[in-house]
Amino acid sequence: MDSTALNKPSTWSAFALTLKRDLLIAFKRKNDIVNPFMFFVIVVSLFPLAISPEPTKLAEIAAGVIWIAVLLSAMLSMDSLFRADFEDGSLEMLLLSPHPLFFLVLAKNIAHWIVSGLPVVIASPLLAYMLKLPGDSYLTLLLSLLIGTPTLSLIGSIAVALTVGLGSRGLILAVITLPFSVPVLIFGTLAVQSSAAGLPAGGYLALMLAILAGSLSLAPLTSAAALRISVS
Amino acid sequence: MWLWFAKLGSPKWFYELSTKWLPWLTAAMVLTLGVATIWALLYLPPDYQQGYTSRILVVHVAVAGTSLAFFPLMAVAGTITLVWKMKLADMVAKNAAALGAWFSFITLATGSLWGSVSWGTWWEWSDSRLVSMLFQFFLLLGVVSLRSALEDSEKAAKACALLSIVGCINVVVIKYSVEWWNTLHQPASPVSMESGSANGPEFWIATALMILGVYLFLSVSLILSTRNEILQRERKALWVQELLADTKSGRG
Amino acid sequence: MDLISGIQFDSFAEFLDMGGYSFNVWAVYGLFVVFITVNLYVPVLRRKSLIRDLKRRQTLAEQAHGAEVNSAGRHKLEEAEGNS
Repeated sequence: MDSTALNKPSTWSAFALTLKRDLLIAFKRKNDIVNPFMFFVIVVSLFPLAISPEPTKLAEIAAGVIWIAVLLSAMLSMDSLFRADFEDGSLEMLLLSPHPLFFLVLAKNIAHWIVSGLPVVIASPLLAYMLKLPGDSYLTLLLSLLIGTPTLSLIGSIAVALTVGLGSRGLILAVITLPFSVPVLIFGTLAVQSSAAGLPAGGYLALMLAILAGSLSLAPLTSAAALRISVS
Repeated sequence: MWLWFAKLGSPKWFYELSTKWLPWLTAAMVLTLGVATIWALLYLPPDYQQGYTSRILVVHVAVAGTSLAFFPLMAVAGTITLVWKMKLADMVAKNAAALGAWFSFITLATGSLWGSVSWGTWWEWSDSRLVSMLFQFFLLLGVVSLRSALEDSEKAAKACALLSIVGCINVVVIKYSVEWWNTLHQPASPVSMESGSANGPEFWIATALMILGVYLFLSVSLILSTRNEILQRERKALWVQELLADTKSGRG
Repeated sequence: MDLISGIQFDSFAEFLDMGGYSFNVWAVYGLFVVFITVNLYVPVLRRKSLIRDLKRRQTLAEQAHGAEVNSAGRHKLEEAEGNS
């Protein structure tokens, strides 16, 4: 597939190649995968120590704690989305490619989510158990994270693309992106809380899906425009 | 039509026009703000529910209403920057972000001063207007800090333009999601949040006058700082050099 | 006449008291005044220092070229700024 794709690259194969390349690089550099994940786990396990080990109190805050930790670890891992590519110049090659940048950015986003978002989603039931989240809401938590983490990646990639040329940008990235993630945070925690209270959470999940659909179509477009601004 | 548009974008044209308009705008601002303030402080009859605290609302409503204009303003300026690469639009947008952060902050401060007497609390998470204003404040600070982080001014102009457009959409989304969040977390406040609507016509006339005054202030402040920006960025242009030669030294 | 009778307060002390809410009412108006003055005064100050600075550059550039004192020196200024 590779050779034909290189000879006659269609947009689809460019998309697939970018995805494959990014995943390959990520698995070679394991720190980028492990560190945000470890950060997530550690932050969550600090909350019982700081607030109270009492199960009822923990259950009350569990949804919020998990979502905040997800938000922060997404923020940390976002930094690596375009950085290495910017430093070694392959980002410029990406910008020069004849394919629509939309799909290439989308591929990078998906690869990034598989590497940094998915592990967090998979680990979440374990952490939810440690925080004594009521049993009925595990599925909702999993689903809401499954919908919410890619949205966070997509929204974050705009800010990353805008600041890609900056030397120290960890904090400015957080300052720009965190307010943007408010809707995801609100609906994510609402979904989990309402299913913990025995109420249906489908409506919130649908709203989150709508936000995901919106950012899926708009965010790569904006990130592409932002990349063209920063890399020039 | 296009000639007019290109002319509008020229910093020189703006500078000269604003020189002519500035005294009038400043006079109108002083007059409106003065009349509105004196009226509100001295003549506004006390509200039957809130007494003299409705005087706070005159200022608060005017500043809050005006602060909502900043993201649309910056988004329009940003679009003009990105599409027509008009320098003037970016100069306005740059100063609007900082001024907008000021407006949001004053809105929050006057709002909590009002809340402390009429709701009995300085901060109330269950009021969606407070919460979304807080996030508008954060978003504006984000635009300001992005601007100061990027050294290349052309790059900063485009990046901030893009962020302002995205931010404008986001302010709306945040507003609706916070409202939704709010209706689910039943407000525990003892006082009705809508008690501000119990005011008579005098209150609304004073507030309307104050809004006009605050908008005039917004334009005067924005024009002043945009003129500085023009002098700074166009300092090598012939007309700025001539202008400098004409002004008395040190006492522009 | 109406201007006097329309005033809602009988004495100055009452005006200051604002029906018991003096702190909140006056804090809001105080903030408002500070907000407006700062955002008008800072640009004015900045304009003064900017003009002083730009004029100094202008004369420096003129002196550097030891040229005429008249306004023709500005072309030299552009050269000087381009070189620096």
